[in-house]
Amino acid sequence: MAVVKVDKLARSVAEGPSLMTGSIPTKNWMDVPAVFKPGNYAYPAKAEVIRYLDSQKGVSFPNAREWSPEDDDWKLPENWKEIILQGLADRLDRFRSLKIFMDCCVRCGACADKCHFFLGTGDPKNMPVLRAELLRSVYRKEFTRAGKILGRMVGGREMTVGVLKEWFMYAYQCTECRRCSVFCPYGIDTAEITMMLRELLHMVGVGINWAMEPVANSNRTGNHMGLTPQAFKGNVEFLCDDIENLTGIRVNPTFNRKGAEVLFITPSADVFAEPGIFTCMGYLLLFEAIGLDYTWSTYASEGGNFGLFTSNEMMKKLNGKMYAEAKRLGVRWILGGECGHMWRVLHQYMDTMNGPADFLEVPRSPITGTVFENAASTKMIHISEFTADLIKNNKIKLDKSRNAHVVPTFHDSCNPARAMGLLDEPRYILDNVVDNWFEMPPNTIREQTFCCGSGTALNTDEIMELRMRSGLPRANAVRYVHEKHGVNTLGCVCAIDRATLTTLMNYWVPEVQVAGLSELVGNALVIEGEQRQDLTEGLRTLV
Amino acid sequence: MEVTEALTSKKQEILSVWIERTLDSYIAPGFFKSAKDPFANPVGSNITAGLTALFDLLVAKADLQACAKPLDQVVRIRAVQEFTPAQAVAPFLELKWVVKQVLSGDKATRPLLGKLDALDCDIDRMALTAFNIYSECREQLYRNRIRELKSGRALLTDAACPSALLRREQPGADATTEP
Repeated sequence: MAVVKVDKLARSVAEGPSLMTGSIPTKNWMDVPAVFKPGNYAYPAKAEVIRYLDSQKGVSFPNAREWSPEDDDWKLPENWKEIILQGLADRLDRFRSLKIFMDCCVRCGACADKCHFFLGTGDPKNMPVLRAELLRSVYRKEFTRAGKILGRMVGGREMTVGVLKEWFMYAYQCTECRRCSVFCPYGIDTAEITMMLRELLHMVGVGINWAMEPVANSNRTGNHMGLTPQAFKGNVEFLCDDIENLTGIRVNPTFNRKGAEVLFITPSADVFAEPGIFTCMGYLLLFEAIGLDYTWSTYASEGGNFGLFTSNEMMKKLNGKMYAEAKRLGVRWILGGECGHMWRVLHQYMDTMNGPADFLEVPRSPITGTVFENAASTKMIHISEFTADLIKNNKIKLDKSRNAHVVPTFHDSCNPARAMGLLDEPRYILDNVVDNWFEMPPNTIREQTFCCGSGTALNTDEIMELRMRSGLPRANAVRYVHEKHGVNTLGCVCAIDRATLTTLMNYWVPEVQVAGLSELVGNALVIEGEQRQDLTEGLRTLV
Repeated sequence: MEVTEALTSKKQEILSVWIERTLDSYIAPGFFKSAKDPFANPVGSNITAGLTALFDLLVAKADLQACAKPLDQVVRIRAVQEFTPAQAVAPFLELKWVVKQVLSGDKATRPLLGKLDALDCDIDRMALTAFNIYSECREQLYRNRIRELKSGRALLTDAACPSALLRREQPGADATTEP
């Protein structure tokens, strides 16, 4: 019997008739233009939002206008090219890291297959090395001698409208999660390249609304949602009523109280949207159980800082608000809730932007006496650090059986994991609040965790398909532990995660719900004087 | 030789070509084809596992219900990638061509080419089931959109600011400075 040769057949794969469109690249990547169609881009920022922001002190968002990515003409300012190249020159001068990242990549490819966007789309321009090359090619042409002379022969290319459009496409197919950086032998932080691309695009009025409207809202009312102080306070009090119904405990938080020991800041989604509100109920119960002397601020009413996804100046301004409020209220230190990128801003940029916060004290837990030297400069600690320390010192009573309905796994949120090294505290908390929990495979957790796929202001519904495919690597690992161990809950410590992983799970693994760790703490917490109902679903139980 | 026997003996060749052709529908399929770790390469490994399971089920003449899970494993991914609906489910119909190609390459199996009607019919049924799953996936996406809108997160955009609205109502006020 003749043996069919696979290699011979492989040829017929390319040659034979096919129902599918063969996609073997026939062009150099530089010659493949970005094509915008409904569903593959996030909506541009509204002109009125940009105009408002441009009128604000300390930030610059020029060239506000109505435009559409699908139009040929993006109505760029006449001297757009000059603006971009001057902007790049300024940044190369200001940020030594950018200059190094532009020069030192040897294109080894270690990052290529580490990006969740590449893994979900198969689009080579989503390989971090090639995404960076979109900028690097222009840098070579305009800022290196070899590139000026030899151009494309040395990987340089002219800055054109097509290149700009490509930047917009791929700078917004990166969630700045920094998984690729973990694998880069040179430590190139590709997220910072995306940040630069976005900054440059803002100089010519090209940005997305899902980033800019929350930024405008935060600048104006203090939080993404644009909640007024009254609405913010009302929402928290509404959660206090829920807590009383469920547990018999009346929690009476204070707002804008001067002289409190601690200022508590968390993402506004925690006081507003499911499932974050259950996490928030967890915070409120915990603080009540230990009698913490703390206050909320209705002005620093947002942990999230979409400035990180926008521009250095915007990030600085929004971060500064937290410290200005801490100063105004005269607190000793700041306790931060379960937020993702707030912690990246805190740990990697705050000190040189707004710090050191000398007017605050090094955080010291008033309950255990533990001094958090790791936050000696920023004066702000994460709720997981604080809670883990309480548990370690036996200061709270936990009943695991109250979480009997929960079989969790833990998703390391990108920024707390990779930007602040918060890896073990959440796991220690889980060990103490549930009977059993299960880790996802090693190459999908801790420093190597996969992004939710919707960070950096990409959690908008017009790009739902893009979010689902970029979230596939995360969902795929969750599905594995769901099928193997019966995991039904995905624990996390980030508000964007709580929102976006919920949608991601609905699509890929609908049997799994998403919960903040503090919700699981709140479920298990035994408080003196409580008259707790039979809460079969913990704080989510409808009574 | 019967068709089932031929399919069993040619399983590796058929699967290899089928998977290769399916992954070639991506722009840069090299990594999807080569990486074996299911967590490092979810697209490649799920499609490989799904198509392999489907082939076994076809040979075993399993009922369509049994095909639902491996079909879902492949279709759920392709339903959110940049394919048209037809392109998303095309791989299942492609199997007919692949089987004919492999069987015609061997003298012993060539006579079976005229006896593939039943198999073709099974493959068609599988492809139609795949289209059902594709539609369910798309509907799920729209439900997700609605759920996000209802959850209140949509207030992130288009949020009405009472103070801005008030200002707009006042004559002569500059409304453009408020979003």
